Amino acid sequence: MSKRLLFLLCAALACAVFVAACGGDDDSGGTAGTSETGSTEGAKTIDVKAMDSAKGEATYCSGKDTSGDLKETIEEFNKANPGSTIKLTEFPEDAQQQHDQFSQRQRAKSPDCDGFEEDVVWTAEFAQQKWLYDMTPYIESRKDEFIPSTLESVTYDGKNWGVPKVTDAGLLYYRTDQVDAVPDTWQGVYEEAAKGDGIVYQGSAYEGLTVDYLELAFAAGGSVISDDGKSSTINSPENVKALQFMVDGIKDGAAPKAVTTMQEEPARRAWEAGKATFMRNWPYCYALSQQAPKVKGKFAVAPFPSFEGGEKAAILGGHNMVVSVYSKNPGLMLKFIDFATSAERMKRNAVKYSKAPVLKETYQDADVQKALPFAEELQQAVEQAKSRPVSPVYPQISEAIFKNVNEALSGQASPEDALKKADDQINAALQTF
Amino acid sequence: MEAASVPAGTSTKRRSRDLSERRLASYMVSPSVLLIALVAAYPIGYAVWLSLHQYSVRQAGLSRWAEPNIWSNYTNVLQDDEFRQAIVNTFVFTFFSVGLELVIGLGMALAMHAAFRGQGLLRTVVLVPWAVLTVVTAIMWRTIFDPTLGIVNAALGTDIVWLGETPYAMIVMIIADVWKTAPFMALLILAGLQVIPGEIYEAAKVDGATMWQRFRKITLPLLMPAILVALIFRTLDALRIFDLPFVLTKGQNNTNTMSLESYQTFTANNILGEGAAMAIITFVIVMIVSFLYIRFVGGNIRGLADE
Repeated sequence: MSKRLLFLLCAALACAVFVAACGGDDDSGGTAGTSETGSTEGAKTIDVKAMDSAKGEATYCSGKDTSGDLKETIEEFNKANPGSTIKLTEFPEDAQQQHDQFSQRQRAKSPDCDGFEEDVVWTAEFAQQKWLYDMTPYIESRKDEFIPSTLESVTYDGKNWGVPKVTDAGLLYYRTDQVDAVPDTWQGVYEEAAKGDGIVYQGSAYEGLTVDYLELAFAAGGSVISDDGKSSTINSPENVKALQFMVDGIKDGAAPKAVTTMQEEPARRAWEAGKATFMRNWPYCYALSQQAPKVKGKFAVAPFPSFEGGEKAAILGGHNMVVSVYSKNPGLMLKFIDFATSAERMKRNAVKYSKAPVLKETYQDADVQKALPFAEELQQAVEQAKSRPVSPVYPQISEAIFKNVNEALSGQASPEDALKKADDQINAALQTF
Repeated sequence: MEAASVPAGTSTKRRSRDLSERRLASYMVSPSVLLIALVAAYPIGYAVWLSLHQYSVRQAGLSRWAEPNIWSNYTNVLQDDEFRQAIVNTFVFTFFSVGLELVIGLGMALAMHAAFRGQGLLRTVVLVPWAVLTVVTAIMWRTIFDPTLGIVNAALGTDIVWLGETPYAMIVMIIADVWKTAPFMALLILAGLQVIPGEIYEAAKVDGATMWQRFRKITLPLLMPAILVALIFRTLDALRIFDLPFVLTKGQNNTNTMSLESYQTFTANNILGEGAAMAIITFVIVMIVSFLYIRFVGGNIRGLADE
């Protein structure tokens, strides 16, 4: 019995190796010609004029449209443009899944997605693989309308690869019944927190911690990679200072030990249970917390304070609209993007769906200010926000940050050792491209 | 003469008919063998092929053999501290979770086997955890062990961040796994218990064997085949554990496993070659472990049966 089993396994393995050999031949024939130049040279540039005469069909791919604003935009576009139809393909809600779904299609050179709603951190990775149209001529024509920080998130290698659609920036939530005003510095906030019920943030080992850590590190004057994008700068005195500050915060009781396992929702739950004086979180919590009996009417939001001896900083979130180079109808996709990012549409998204606008003028609108009571704080937060490191290997850089920072927060490594390890890992990742 | 040749003739005839029948049979199964080859061998083959290649975002496309030699994805992965740690974690998890499941599962099976009122109800209740999805199990235990709102800290009066500290995170993961799969173990062992004939016990009782002797000398040896099957199933499952650490810890605090590390490398970090190499190494480790089981524990069974 076991002999026959062994034979079968060997046969299967032999088969596998045979298939592998064949597969190898096919593919090396097919893609051997891909260019190996360093940057984004030779990328296709969008033809802005093609927009005027665009007709036919195009598909826009996006993560699940949970709020419904995208479906409404598409419906209105199709109504306003007889003869052209935009279709929507929805990917799962999880950001990583959206990334993988789009990547798979692009690797196969599939025309499935004419346009895609990307997370701000994917620009470099996609542009480097020449999956996106260079949108610089279009952005040039509208440059002054956008908040400058949001344009940074579509820029890589000196060119613009997409159009910002919705933005996001972290806010500091505080209990008005426990503190009179937000202190000017993070150090002050932590002091108040230690006296009160503490501060909660996203300290679990995932993308959210990269954001939370960089908010402090950037404010302290730190950076992640060098300007040429070729080497890591994570192991700097400023970054160590920021990390030491977070570690001390947990030691001194300004933040509960449990923050090392918190993502957005656990932090919000702890905050809404009245167990924290401060919370660092995204704007989406505002409306939800107004319905939580224990904190309702007892809190306000503020943009982040500065780091002692440093400055103010925040990290930009949000989504951009990009056009795939494998699209059969890039002109129509651009026309749709132009429609979806228009001032009128932006206002509707803010008022009806609480989406943070990327256009300056939208924040000044009276209706928007009424719908988003914290519009002014939000605009400040977005304006002072910086992009996360722009690099084709961003996922690995982020992992190096959140894993090691988390180890420092949970006391398994000293801040110096943690950042040294992150430094090695980031340099190793940067060498792969 | 004749009497001797006739049987010889029929036996060759029968053999040749056997052969042609066998050939016919092999023709008839060939479509399904082909299908299995396509469904099973192709993905494995593709993974092997990927694991020998290099993919980087700068040089889009997957046409290059790994450099400096075609095995370098494997050597890189085996030198990688994170993956080594993942291998260690996986074995720690497998050893403790399968060990506990065996003991608890055996106890459950014996309880379910005993005849008493409410036996049907007990069997149903015991099996409930097995029916719950692993991801749901993980979310449930994550909530139970939540440091601020969870019941464990409240009940024990402790202030431990269960999923955020090193030995505790693994302990929670093992508890969640044991809770979920001990019933499965119990089910397989119960099936083994039910085929042991009652007469053997009666004979042993007549001979004056104590309860412990009956368990040691009759139940355990006769149960061995069922236990072995259960152990193989559970060990192979545990070695591939992915969903529990994915939901509970994302691999932090020494709970990273081979499958999770492979997934992270392959999909999140886009290092397709090394991710595939990790998957193949996991595959080979699982295969070696199952061979060892059959070779050593399987041999024992035969020995016990002969006794």
